[in-house]
Amino acid sequence: MQYKDYYKIMGLSRTSTQDDVKRAYRKLARKYHPDVSKEKDAEAKFKELGEAYEVLKDPQKRAAYDKLGTNWKAGEEFRPPPNWDEGFEFKGGGFTGGDASTFSDFFEQLFGRAGFRPSAQGQRGFDQRGQDSHAKIYIDLEDSIHGSTRNISLSTPGMDAQGYIQVKHRSLNIKIPKGIKPGQHIRLSGQGDPGSGGGKAGDLLLEIAFNSHPLYRVSGTDIYLDLPVTPWEAALGAKIKVPTPEGNIDLKIPPNSRQGTKLRLKGRGLPAKTPGDFFVVLQIALPPANTEHAKVIYQKMQQELDFNPRLSLGV
Amino acid sequence: MNSHDLLPVHTGTVIEDDSLTLEQLCQACGVHAEWVISLVEESIIEPQGDEIHLWRFSGASLVRVRSALRLQHDLGVNLAGIALALDLIEELENLRAQLNIMGHD
Repeated sequence: MQYKDYYKIMGLSRTSTQDDVKRAYRKLARKYHPDVSKEKDAEAKFKELGEAYEVLKDPQKRAAYDKLGTNWKAGEEFRPPPNWDEGFEFKGGGFTGGDASTFSDFFEQLFGRAGFRPSAQGQRGFDQRGQDSHAKIYIDLEDSIHGSTRNISLSTPGMDAQGYIQVKHRSLNIKIPKGIKPGQHIRLSGQGDPGSGGGKAGDLLLEIAFNSHPLYRVSGTDIYLDLPVTPWEAALGAKIKVPTPEGNIDLKIPPNSRQGTKLRLKGRGLPAKTPGDFFVVLQIALPPANTEHAKVIYQKMQQELDFNPRLSLGV
Repeated sequence: MNSHDLLPVHTGTVIEDDSLTLEQLCQACGVHAEWVISLVEESIIEPQGDEIHLWRFSGASLVRVRSALRLQHDLGVNLAGIALALDLIEELENLRAQLNIMGHD
C-alpha cells in the first residue's frame, strides 16, 4: 500500500486553514471535473482530489492523518503505525461526500471502508425497483452501418454479503441495432441494479459513442471522407474509385473542382428512416518535383499558365 | 470460439428522440420529479409537450440531467450556473466536432 500525500494533491501545506482547503477543493474540482475538464486522466485526478478533500475537510480525519507525520513521501510503501488512530472517532463512521467506492486502499486502511447503511425504506421491507445504471460504450462506425453484436465489459460498484462496496466486473453481449447514432441510448431491461424486497431490477442504459475511424468522420447521421486527388483530376474532372463503409464506389469528380470541394452522396450516411449523407471532401495532393522530368513539367506550367493565387491579397 | 460466444446476446431497445416520460427520466437518473421540473423551468432540458403529463424528453436529456446532478453535487453549482456550464460545454463540444470535420484533430 502506498502513502498518499493529500496536501500535495490539493496543493496545500500542513498549515493551511480549513477555508484554504475548501477554496483549493473548489478550484481543483472545477479544473478536473470530468464533465468540464479535457485534461488527460481528469477522472482519476478528480477521484484522488475527492479522497484528499474527504480527509482534509474533516478536522478529525485531518488531525489523524497529520499524526502520521511528515516524513512520508507520496507513493512510498506505507503501513500505519500501531494505535495511530487512538482517540479518534471516525472508524466506521459515515462518509460525507465523494464517491467512497472509488477511494484508495490507503484511505481504507486508515479510515475504514464505506459501509452500507440500509435505507429506512429497505428496513421497513418495501419492494423497491432497482436503480437504472448507466454506461458509455464505444462502437465502430461499421457496427452502426451493418448492425452487429458487441461484447462489452462493465464495472459496477455493488455490495458484497457483508455490506461492503465492491466493484464487480461483468461482461455482456449486446446487439447493436443498425443505424444507431452517437449520443443515442440503448435500454437493456432488468440489467441495472437489483431491486430490494420483491422489486424488479433496474435497467441498464448504454450511451453510444463511436471510436474514431481511420478513414471516416461522423457528424450526426452524416459521414465524411477526405479524398486525396491529383491536380489534374481536380482540374479536368475524373471518375475515381472511392471507399465507403458499404464498399467502393465510382465517383465522378466535376472539372474545375477546388481544394475542399464537398461532394454529397445522398443517403449513403448512417442508415435511418431518413438516412444521412456521405460527403467526400477533396484534398488536392501536389506531385513532388523530385525528378528532372517533373521539374520540366512544373516549369512549363509556370511559363504557360497565367495564375496568381494571391490576386485577392492585392499583391 | 472464445468465451464471449457462450454468453447470451441481449437485445435492447433504442431510446428514440423525445420518447422519455418524466417518470422514466427520473427513474433513469435516480432523481426526484421536483428537481427535473426545476431543470425544465431553468430551460436546462426542454421536453416536447405543453403539460407535465405530456412531457417527452430526448435521450440527450439523460446526459444533461446526470451532468447537472454531478455539477451540483461535486461543485455546488446552482441551477443558473448549471444551465450556463452545460450550454458552454455543449458549444465547446460542437466546436471540437466542427474542428474534427475540418480535419484538425
